[in-house]
Amino acid sequence: MADTDAPVIETTGLRKEFRTRRGRRVVAVDGLDLVVPAGGVHGFLGPNGSGKTTTIRMLLGLARATRGEMRLFGQPVPHRLSAVMGRIGAVVEQPKFLPSFSGRKNLILLARTIGAPSSAVDSALAQVGLAGRGRDRYKSYSLGMKQRLAIAATLLKSPDLLILDEPTNGLDPAGIRDIRTMIRGLGESGVTVLLSSHILAEVQQVCHSVSIIGSGRLLASGAVDDLVAAGRATRVRVEVGDPVRARAILEEDGFRVHHEGERLVVSGDADEPFDPEMVSRALATRQLYVRELTPVRADLESVFLQLTRDDSLVSEPPAAGGAA
Amino acid sequence: MRLLRVELSRFFSRRAVAMLLLAAALLTALVAGTTIWGTRPVDAAEQARAEARVQAITSSPEYKRDLANCQESPEDLFGPGADAADCRRLLAPSTADVVGRVPLALADEVDDSGIAVIVIVTVLMIVAGTTFAGADWASGSMSNQMLFEPRRQRVWWAKAGAALVGTGVAAAVLIAAFWVALYLVADARGIGTGAAVQTDIRWMVARGVSLAALAGFGGYALTMLLRHTVGTLAVLFVYAAGGEALISLLPVERSGQYSPAENVFAWIRDGGRVFDSSIDCPVSSAGCDQTFQLTLLHGGAYLAVLVLLVTVVSAVLFQRRDIP
Repeated sequence: MADTDAPVIETTGLRKEFRTRRGRRVVAVDGLDLVVPAGGVHGFLGPNGSGKTTTIRMLLGLARATRGEMRLFGQPVPHRLSAVMGRIGAVVEQPKFLPSFSGRKNLILLARTIGAPSSAVDSALAQVGLAGRGRDRYKSYSLGMKQRLAIAATLLKSPDLLILDEPTNGLDPAGIRDIRTMIRGLGESGVTVLLSSHILAEVQQVCHSVSIIGSGRLLASGAVDDLVAAGRATRVRVEVGDPVRARAILEEDGFRVHHEGERLVVSGDADEPFDPEMVSRALATRQLYVRELTPVRADLESVFLQLTRDDSLVSEPPAAGGAA
Repeated sequence: MRLLRVELSRFFSRRAVAMLLLAAALLTALVAGTTIWGTRPVDAAEQARAEARVQAITSSPEYKRDLANCQESPEDLFGPGADAADCRRLLAPSTADVVGRVPLALADEVDDSGIAVIVIVTVLMIVAGTTFAGADWASGSMSNQMLFEPRRQRVWWAKAGAALVGTGVAAAVLIAAFWVALYLVADARGIGTGAAVQTDIRWMVARGVSLAALAGFGGYALTMLLRHTVGTLAVLFVYAAGGEALISLLPVERSGQYSPAENVFAWIRDGGRVFDSSIDCPVSSAGCDQTFQLTLLHGGAYLAVLVLLVTVVSAVLFQRRDIP
């Protein structure tokens, strides 16, 4: 029996290798340990090709893991996927429906698969604002409408876990706002939402927690506020009378410095705690007095960029060989 | 059963399948119409014209010369034992010869238009099974469906059942309608159909329906394996273009027994004789038979093994491969 307090999603040492047409082995996911707790909206971030979609596809049984373990609602998957799939709604990559059927017909077929009534289809269409276009052919839909239909399909199950891969792709601003509101509302109502997105501002607005992956590995995970807060103290913007001399002094003391116009942006060693006070002290002891010292407010984007940049530097050499 | 009903709904809702069923219905109607028209009774005016034509022919000098030549040595023309009466009986044209058509006889149609209808329906059912599966892969909706029913074998077999039942029902309706139409026309023309012929027709309908259903199923299974409608059609085209020729070149005796086409005809016709050039016939041996018997059982077993092979490979690979 599954543990009710277990994380909704849990992967351990998850790995996915595949071969290209030329026989070259590619590692898409490399020992990923991912934990998504129950409830709330969890962001799933990573640059293109970092293994996000492959991970989602493995969780949903669309791709086979080469190695590692996965659990959904405490149940091992893909072994017990059928036992939990009824609780999961998912949009993976692009919406995929039969183009010659109407949106409603596509949903009715899916609803019948799980024994849901036709009224559930109409309700789902209404929820995503497609009630008036449900009888039109899917191929006549705009990208945004297709995206809405895909989200409507996930709602047919009244899911406990919603996995959304770039759900606002192709939506107009109003549509993006509606979907964000819906995701936030679902998260607040107790549904666990795993939101894979490239739009970092969106993730920061909507998500409670986040996992960042790069080259198929987990780079960071935790509450969004914690991750951003951890990044807050790592940089300060400094204005001094002699920036050239100030830079030399700070670099001599082990800070990393670059110019930003007339100002300097100073950061510490990534492995050491960074205290902005040390910057002003280092300059003051050499008779250089700070006119202005402003902490550079980190946001999720800067955290993400820093993590993924570091990862790409680390992982570049073995990428060609494929093995980690 | 629920999944099978969903897939049957998907099968009959596909526009391409509907077009193929319509084409099968039209072609079947065309064959029936051509047969009915080509065997229509001779009216009085036609009969009078035909009798006049027979009179003209038998009065012509050419006919009289041919008849005289024949009567001089009947055995040269009609073999040992022939006499002068045979010459008059066999050389004289009949009004039926002049009119150029014979009355409708369902016994004759078993080996003629009956086979044509089964072949037409079977070919179109292969394409229907193919496009049914191909649409799921082409649109990418297969992965969407797997999010609602992740048990792959269930999905494979539900779709297979829909292809089998859908094409089987369509073939049953079309082939049965063809024979019912011929029977009613024959009855209206006062032409009786013996019980033995009716039994032969019933069995032929059963064999035709099972063949068409198996063809639909086979087309589906092959497309699930190749994951592309065009791929399956290309395989069928390559076979049609050169497969039979290659089989005839096999360095084995009675290579025809390995030919799909010969086995299909053996199945439709309740067995039949197959020409085989590898059977030696000495120049001196009159009446040497260069054919061999291919039984109904052989045809059925051959087709069953062929479909079974494709089924096993297709179902196993569907279980193991990633779904795009």
